[in-house]
Amino acid sequence: MMETIMELQDVWKIYRMGEVEVPALKGISVKIKKGDFVAIIGASGSGKSTMMNLIGCLDIPSRGNIYLKSQDISSLGESDLASFRGRTIGFIFQQYNLIQSMSAFENVMLPLEFLEYNDQKAATRTREILTLVGLGDKMHHRPTQLSGGQQQRVSIARSLVSDPEIILADEPTGALDSVTGREVLDMLRRLWEEQGKTIIMVTHDLNLAKYAHTRIELKDGEILKISENNEVNKK
Amino acid sequence: MKLKKCSKHAFNMVLHSKLRSWLTITGIVIGVAAVIAIVSIGDGMQQTLNAQLNTLGGDIVTISPGAERGGGMFGMRGGGGGGGSSGPQATTKEIVLGRSDLQALKGLSDIALIDTNIRGSVNISYFGKTGKVSVTGVDQKVWSQITTSTIQTGRTLDSADQNVIVIGGNLASSYFDQPIGINKMVTINSAAFRVVGILDDQTTSVYMPIQMAYQVIPDKTTDIYDTLVVKIKDQNQLDASISNIQDKLMISRHVTQNKMDFSVTSRKEMQQARAATMNSMSTFLLAIAAVSLIVGSIGIANTMFTSVLEKTKEIGIMKAIGARNQDILLIFLFNAAFIGLVGGILGIILGTMLSGFMPALMGGLPMARGTAIVTLNSITMALSVSVSVGILAGIIPAYQASKLKPVDALRYE
Ligand SMILES: Nc1ncnc2c1ncn2[C@@H]1O[C@H](COP(=O)(O)OP(=O)(O)O)[C@@H](O)[C@H]1O
Ligand SMILES: [Mg+2]
Repeated sequence: MMETIMELQDVWKIYRMGEVEVPALKGISVKIKKGDFVAIIGASGSGKSTMMNLIGCLDIPSRGNIYLKSQDISSLGESDLASFRGRTIGFIFQQYNLIQSMSAFENVMLPLEFLEYNDQKAATRTREILTLVGLGDKMHHRPTQLSGGQQQRVSIARSLVSDPEIILADEPTGALDSVTGREVLDMLRRLWEEQGKTIIMVTHDLNLAKYAHTRIELKDGEILKISENNEVNKK
Repeated sequence: MKLKKCSKHAFNMVLHSKLRSWLTITGIVIGVAAVIAIVSIGDGMQQTLNAQLNTLGGDIVTISPGAERGGGMFGMRGGGGGGGSSGPQATTKEIVLGRSDLQALKGLSDIALIDTNIRGSVNISYFGKTGKVSVTGVDQKVWSQITTSTIQTGRTLDSADQNVIVIGGNLASSYFDQPIGINKMVTINSAAFRVVGILDDQTTSVYMPIQMAYQVIPDKTTDIYDTLVVKIKDQNQLDASISNIQDKLMISRHVTQNKMDFSVTSRKEMQQARAATMNSMSTFLLAIAAVSLIVGSIGIANTMFTSVLEKTKEIGIMKAIGARNQDILLIFLFNAAFIGLVGGILGIILGTMLSGFMPALMGGLPMARGTAIVTLNSITMALSVSVSVGILAGIIPAYQASKLKPVDALRYE
């Protein structure tokens, strides 16, 4: 019943360090269904971030194909890929990756500026989304004037502002304490349940992986196991 | 991203940049200041020069004793017979212009009029106040036809005049507490003179019949002249006339070309010398401008490279959230252009101040009396130069930034 939003076909990523070749991903094949909540788990160095970068179209595979919404991403030019990425995928990073010289409002509005929204629409949408993540009263604060949890919420708002179908989160709670970490995960979960977003989250923390419906376990660049957690279902 | 947004982000980048990057615009500032100074001083001098060329006097030739002084570079004349040291002759006889020279010139068909001048410094008193001014004794029969000065009030000198003078505008209006009017009496080295005319100029000069000048200026000998001022018949034959005058005087003074003990200069030559000086000064300033602009552009390029490096992570973030290569390229190009623009504006301010000072700095030189004029033209030019320099310097760093791979940029710390 669920359609595939992203597919990896025999994807390899080989890093070249001088003479040495380091294969970070070795023939990964996986389908991600639209509206799923996926956790990619594995030990450090197992290739999670590499896979994340490929899924997020930030990098290209050494071998194999990646299809995003049936579109072969290697067939797109750099500019088209950038726009496609901006419209389809929202990123949440472990280190928030906010631009320090910009206010929360400006940070969140930035993706809309790249997509050439008109100013009025962009501002309204930005205000709306910041209010949604509970920062309606802190819109004009700089990142340095916000706590870690608040910064991650700005980053979540930024990932949502252009209403993308996929949210990619790389260790989204890695820099937060357990209470704020849980708040962030609850927020992701609500996005999944209420807005039907496809959530792909990278984590090494098995406790966090319990929130996800599908688990992809990586080991040394290969998929060890794909399992579904049927206790986690949309209400 | 729309152009307007790119420039907004670039402008914010400039606002948030560090002091260090501001220092690198110094080169642009100096370059633009030099451009402004060249153009405005050039414009100012050109106007003065044109004004001079348009006044009468293109047919006036001045003969002075003593060897030629380096082509009259700054139009400076030796005041009196101070030529004893010039030339290799071992003679002790003072080099002067005298009656025989006058006679020789009178035989030349090129010449329309000859005015004989002596010059000296005298004490002048008026209503109990005393000052020191320069007096020129002139042949009152021809002076009015040779001088380029014009009379403001009163009359010029005429042949029957004895104890009368014509004075400069400033001497009349502001030199003494009380202005000197027509028919007022002044005392010059204890002889009384009546003012018959006031010149339309800003000088403190005094003109009187040469016979009277021999009496009031100390150490002057009758029939020895400081200069002979000649009006030639045909202005178009100026060069030919000058060489005729030189030939005639060389014969009458028994000197050869190499040992010429007098100089013949025309107003036109002086003006050309001024123009040449102006040109060489413009070239000098242009060189400063070019060097500064090159240094400035290297400075901007350097700032930009550093800035791209510092912002690598931000570039990665922007690319991850949808920035295309061209967006990044434009943001950094605008950034460079803004740096150039800021440098340009500061340069214009500095250049305007500089070109205000310049005439004062060169005040001692008659050629520098030009007023500097800062025109809208030169401002537009300076700004387009500085912005272009900024963009040129920014191209490579901006291109480099736009080509960064998102993964690599994001990993950068
Ligand atoms: N840019 C790179 N150059 C070389 N090797 C890399 C690079 N990125 C990752 N690797 C290597 O690839 C493997 C997988 O790394 P990564 O995807 O970061 O794992 P994880 O995110 O699961 O910790 C590791 O052995 C790592 O050293
Ligand atoms: Mg990782």
